[in-house]
Amino acid sequence: MPEIKNIIKGCLAGNRRDQELLYRRHAARLYAVCLQYSGNDDEASDILQEGFIKIYENLIHYKHEGSFEGWMHRIVVNTALEKFRSKHNLYRVDDIDDIPEPDSAPETEDYSGLEAVDLLDIIRELPPKYRMVFNLFAIEGYSHKEISQMVNISEGTSKSNLSRARIILQKKVNLYTGLKKSVVNG
Amino acid sequence: MVEKGANIDLLFRNGLKDYEVLPPAEAWNAILPVIRKRQRPVIFLRSAALIAVLLSISFLAYKWSEQLSEPSDTQFLALDQAPAGSQGSSADPVLTRRPTAAKRQTTAIRNNLVQNLPASAKPASQSNPVQSDPDMITEPDYMNLRSDMMAPANIQTLKNTSFISGNEKTIYKDLYDYGIEEQEKKTDKWSLTAMASPTYYMRPELNNSEISNQIASSEQPKLSYSGGVGFSYKISKKLSIQSGLYYSSIGNQVDDIFSFAGFRPFDLSKGDHNFEVMTSSGKIYTENPDVFLIDMSGDRVMTKYTNDVFDPLKAKLSYVNNSLFQSFSYLELPVILRYKLIDKSIDFNLIGGLSYNLLVSNSVHTVIDGNKYNVGKTAGLNPFMVSSSLGMGMEYNISEKISLNLEPTFRYFINPFNNIQSFGSHPYSFGVFSGLSYKF
Repeated sequence: MPEIKNIIKGCLAGNRRDQELLYRRHAARLYAVCLQYSGNDDEASDILQEGFIKIYENLIHYKHEGSFEGWMHRIVVNTALEKFRSKHNLYRVDDIDDIPEPDSAPETEDYSGLEAVDLLDIIRELPPKYRMVFNLFAIEGYSHKEISQMVNISEGTSKSNLSRARIILQKKVNLYTGLKKSVVNG
Repeated sequence: MVEKGANIDLLFRNGLKDYEVLPPAEAWNAILPVIRKRQRPVIFLRSAALIAVLLSISFLAYKWSEQLSEPSDTQFLALDQAPAGSQGSSADPVLTRRPTAAKRQTTAIRNNLVQNLPASAKPASQSNPVQSDPDMITEPDYMNLRSDMMAPANIQTLKNTSFISGNEKTIYKDLYDYGIEEQEKKTDKWSLTAMASPTYYMRPELNNSEISNQIASSEQPKLSYSGGVGFSYKISKKLSIQSGLYYSSIGNQVDDIFSFAGFRPFDLSKGDHNFEVMTSSGKIYTENPDVFLIDMSGDRVMTKYTNDVFDPLKAKLSYVNNSLFQSFSYLELPVILRYKLIDKSIDFNLIGGLSYNLLVSNSVHTVIDGNKYNVGKTAGLNPFMVSSSLGMGMEYNISEKISLNLEPTFRYFINPFNNIQSFGSHPYSFGVFSGLSYKF
């Protein structure tokens, strides 16, 4: 199996086989990330395509420092963020926050029935701005300050969106867990 | 709440970590044309950059050679620069009368030189009545001297004549140069050249049908090479004609055709022509009964062993590769004209002509673990092709006889690679030939 360095070199030389090999190796993982950031499959496909085009275009700038997967992951997340901003940058996200505060949900300790596909479904059901803030904070590890700059919202809104996202997610997790258990118990 | 939040965060972070979902099949098909399209300008820009670099090098080399060939001081008084008060006509440099002070010296030098020449080469002017005026170099004298000095032995005599100095060099330098030039005309008419070049072949876009687009997007030329020996004959000082024998190899990679080995036991017809693959160079016919081909992304493979009849995975055939490689070799007979644009220490030539190419080898293979696995041949190739070429040659003279050549050359094939009407493409190529020439 060719090393990633050789594949990158081939891609830079315009070798189509290496370009395809790079895609085949990483598309599935990156598509999962795209789905996590988007509400529908078409949008996820668009993010994947745009992300990969940027990856090929920017390969020349990759310094072989750190993980290549991480570098590609960041490009795809940034592409998702750009897409989000292009849809929501007409006004600050916190200015149109008219979704009522959800009631807090009791936390379940037993998540054993939940699989990755369920988690992905749950996260994709979130409103776009909650999903974006939750992904950036909980999954990517950005601070509220960073998120406020990235998404063009205040830090307070970022915290509030995260809090609301968590409550919604908790409720859905409880619901899924309950449903799964009821299916298993007959 | 923070802890609760952290729990739900962890649930999603860990749950989605490394999760993979296969993207829709058309996603790659949407990416590929975009990156190919963006690469074309890059290839064009690279070619343009290469040409710009070559031109810059040529210009710098020209400037450098100009500097090298510039005289360090004004060496001589030209014959037509008649000194003030001279009685001769300034319009006739040969009959210019020298200043009195130099007259005797001139005569002495001339006599000395003539005495040094072999008897047969001595000018007839010795018995010429004009000789009665010892101070005047007459036209017949000059002409005789010029013709005498064309003989190589006499050139050497002139070279060794160390007593010529000052303005008198003028006359003899002219004679000497003339002699050398005439001598050069007689020799160095022929040269033998050995050259080689990596060559990049390109094909123009085929017509816009779906299959043509698919074929075009799935093929990429491999770096080819060309090399051989040629000889050239100098027709005049500026123009020469060149021919020789060259060998060139051209490669083409056809992607997304998956090949499997071990098909022979399932080949009920026991034929060796089970698969045909459409390519821009012509149809590939399999000759190896052991090979099984399948086109994963289109309909380029024609066979009776279609997907619904035979599944290579179920039959547990061994996967070999997902690309086929076409190789063509030609023997070339070029007829090239070379026109010298700049004649300095680095010469610049404009090169143009035709090459007659005879197909000598045609094979298709795939690769497994670095080894070639024979597949078959490309059918319908033109066995005889004519290409036109245009280039700019630089020639640096390492010594009197040997020179170093660099020739960026563009070539266009006048007749197509194959006879298939819809796929008849005229490829073109760019190569930088380099090599050595020996003049004799």
